[in-house]
Amino acid sequence: MSNDVAVAAPKQKRHINFQAVGIFAAAAVIFIIFGILNENFLTVNNLRDVAVSASVNALIGIGLTFVIITGGIDLSVGSIASFVGIASAALMVNNGVPSIPGLLIGLVIGFIAGVLNGLLITSLKLPPFIATLGTMSIYQGLAYVVTSGQPVYNVPESFVLLLNSYIAGVPIVVVVVIIVAVLAWLLLRKTVFGQNVIATGGSEETAWLSGVRVNRVKVIVYGISGLLAGLGGLVVVARISAAQSEAGAPYLLTAIAAAVIGGANLMGGEGRIGGTLVGALILGALTNGLVLLNVPSFYEQIVTGLVVVIAVAIDQGSKTWSGRRRKGGQATPNPATNESQAPGEAGAEDKSRVAR
Amino acid sequence: MTANLLEIKNIAKSFPGVRALEDVTFTLNRGEVLTLAGENGAGKSTLLSILGGALTPDRGTVTIDGVQRDEYTPRRALADGIMIAQQEPAIVPQLSVEQNLLLGKTTAERRDAGSHVQAALDDVAAMGFPLDPRTRLSRLSPAQRHALTIAKAFAYDAKIVALDEPTTSMLEHNVAAVLKRLRELAEERGVGIIYVSHRMPEVMSVSDRVVVLRDGHVAYESSIARTTTEEIVRRMVGRELLNFHRNHPVKPDAPVLFTATGVSRPDSEATNDITVRAGEVVGIAGLVGSGRTEFLRAIVRADHGTGGTITIDGKPVNYHSPNGSRDAGIAFIPEDRKRQGLALQMPAYANIALTAAPDLVGRGPLVNIRRQIAVASEIATSLALKPATVRLQARQYSGGNQQKLVIAKWLRTHARVYLFDEPTKGVDVGGKAEIYGLIDQLAADGNGIIVVSSDLPEVISLSDRALVMRNGQFISEHVGDDINEHSLVASAMGIAKGTAA
Repeated sequence: MSNDVAVAAPKQKRHINFQAVGIFAAAAVIFIIFGILNENFLTVNNLRDVAVSASVNALIGIGLTFVIITGGIDLSVGSIASFVGIASAALMVNNGVPSIPGLLIGLVIGFIAGVLNGLLITSLKLPPFIATLGTMSIYQGLAYVVTSGQPVYNVPESFVLLLNSYIAGVPIVVVVVIIVAVLAWLLLRKTVFGQNVIATGGSEETAWLSGVRVNRVKVIVYGISGLLAGLGGLVVVARISAAQSEAGAPYLLTAIAAAVIGGANLMGGEGRIGGTLVGALILGALTNGLVLLNVPSFYEQIVTGLVVVIAVAIDQGSKTWSGRRRKGGQATPNPATNESQAPGEAGAEDKSRVAR
Repeated sequence: MTANLLEIKNIAKSFPGVRALEDVTFTLNRGEVLTLAGENGAGKSTLLSILGGALTPDRGTVTIDGVQRDEYTPRRALADGIMIAQQEPAIVPQLSVEQNLLLGKTTAERRDAGSHVQAALDDVAAMGFPLDPRTRLSRLSPAQRHALTIAKAFAYDAKIVALDEPTTSMLEHNVAAVLKRLRELAEERGVGIIYVSHRMPEVMSVSDRVVVLRDGHVAYESSIARTTTEEIVRRMVGRELLNFHRNHPVKPDAPVLFTATGVSRPDSEATNDITVRAGEVVGIAGLVGSGRTEFLRAIVRADHGTGGTITIDGKPVNYHSPNGSRDAGIAFIPEDRKRQGLALQMPAYANIALTAAPDLVGRGPLVNIRRQIAVASEIATSLALKPATVRLQARQYSGGNQQKLVIAKWLRTHARVYLFDEPTKGVDVGGKAEIYGLIDQLAADGNGIIVVSSDLPEVISLSDRALVMRNGQFISEHVGDDINEHSLVASAMGIAKGTAA
């Protein structure tokens, strides 16, 4: 037994690199190209800016990654970010709530908003797209109602320092993203819950018949998504020292894009925390790099869209290619040629076949 | 008459691990009604799929009106005038009767379709189901939908119509009208009809000829006038027996381990009871669609609205979902391992761990993947999993080994009761023997086993006791020598006991 594993391991390693490294390689290429085109791009200061600007997409994208792995989608993350941001800001500015309680209340609001999404999806059996389409509107409406549509200015300095300052030259928000990513990775890969998330997305019926509390898994996953969307919204508030009712809206599509660029499959069963992080970094680099190159900002969206399409096309292409090769030699499953995912990685070549 | 309407010659078709059709040859004439009979899994559906162009045979030829078919696509089959009316009507519930009759026709074809639609409506009416063409299909009863499906099959200049269990949802008097109309259609239009049914009285009254399939061969062919129900049933059974004998039959004094009483479903009036003793294997036979899978799913509360009282070791256990039945000690190995038994994209060890056996997932929220792999490997070794690693994705194993993975999920959960649904479906002979050995061993260890199977030899060689389900209800119990193909088939098909022997 142990021999077989030992034999399979090196081959397996080579193949993982092909898929998981693909996204890192693409990111490196993008960074190098910008570096060549503009000498200011690859400076410490600028890279720090890239990391900071990627942080909100990274946080919201990590939450979405969980949702997408279960085969769902959460369209309300932008609205939750707006709502949490303005509600917390209003509490701090208008009601004198101190910074840390203000932050925590915001996170709780985000989590509850997410849990409500999960309950709509599991108890009322609404499709995730529909349920979160509805709550997207509701939470956005609440974000207006909180302050009658007025922005909140002069957010306390102590709050800004919590999320928008530096520790030894490293932006605190980057540290937060790294901590969240590590925790999320542990949760997804090293816990029973994480295995249940992946199983629910891979085959909900299998998970259900195996005794997994599928509904509970989903509610928690949407809760995580809401929590991280809320955190993203608070980061936005800290960055501009003010809260607006629509501040979170632009992050919905970019956060989904970050997850998808990172390899999350909207059919479920597949997604990577590291991939989503890199996806967010790529988007951040594009925004920043295009500005440095004096490209009119209108083009930014076009480039972003192209990157999403190309990234997913490459991902699908590599799967289709390995899927075909597999079909050729399928008579007996052979670890040497077939192993394409790291243990614990959720891959779904079978899904890509279905998609074809 | 020059050539036969249809000539099926030496048709063979294999699926991974299963030879569905080995060598099938028969003919069909114009205006003839031919019954295709055979047990579940005898190859009838595969043959109809080949005829309808959904499958390409590995060998052999299909010749229609003297022209050998060179292409197996549904389009080609339609162009050849072959219509297959499936058991599950292929209709769109949101569309009206008329729209369904026109479905798949181009705009140009629709212009001239009026007479066809009218003919189909007349046919449905002649079968005793007058329908308004504007009625939505969702408002029709299953019997009306079936009748419409039959009529549609004849509507567009069909030459050959295959009907798969067309009357299951109909009442006696409707059936008579449908059969009468079928005979008229065959004679008036010279259509060849292939009729698949388990209802022997219908078969005897409607057909000219019968072809019996068994294990992918034509086991018997006769004109109806020169045969009897008993003879047909006798030819259907007697499939090749896998040479397996339980080493550990249940001990005569074994105590009752598991009871389920009043097991019910929201979609049926029927309630059923079952008792399993420690070390006993109870087989459940019955036709496909008789409600056996639903019975098992009701026991583990896999669907909403299921009910019934469960006891294990005489103590009542209460639960409302498969999560609860798992914790109560009930293992469920479902029929469709690719969709219900495994998450195919996950590695084997993670699949084995899905039932959350403490050995595999530990007590806390964190898992030790290394340990999980080690324990899963131990289980895999005890089951002789091939390839002997648990790190591949579940989809990379063969059918028999995937089945072992599904069973492996339950071995460390401390389950006492194992519910198997078609445990060897799509598993080759070698794999079958291993799975049978495993079931025998589970019984020997004092567990209670229920095996639902459409493979009669399987029920016979595994069961200490066998139950037959028909229309959602257990209708007979068989022990000892009474667990034989004749009595099980006769009971499943609703033929009075004794007459089929």
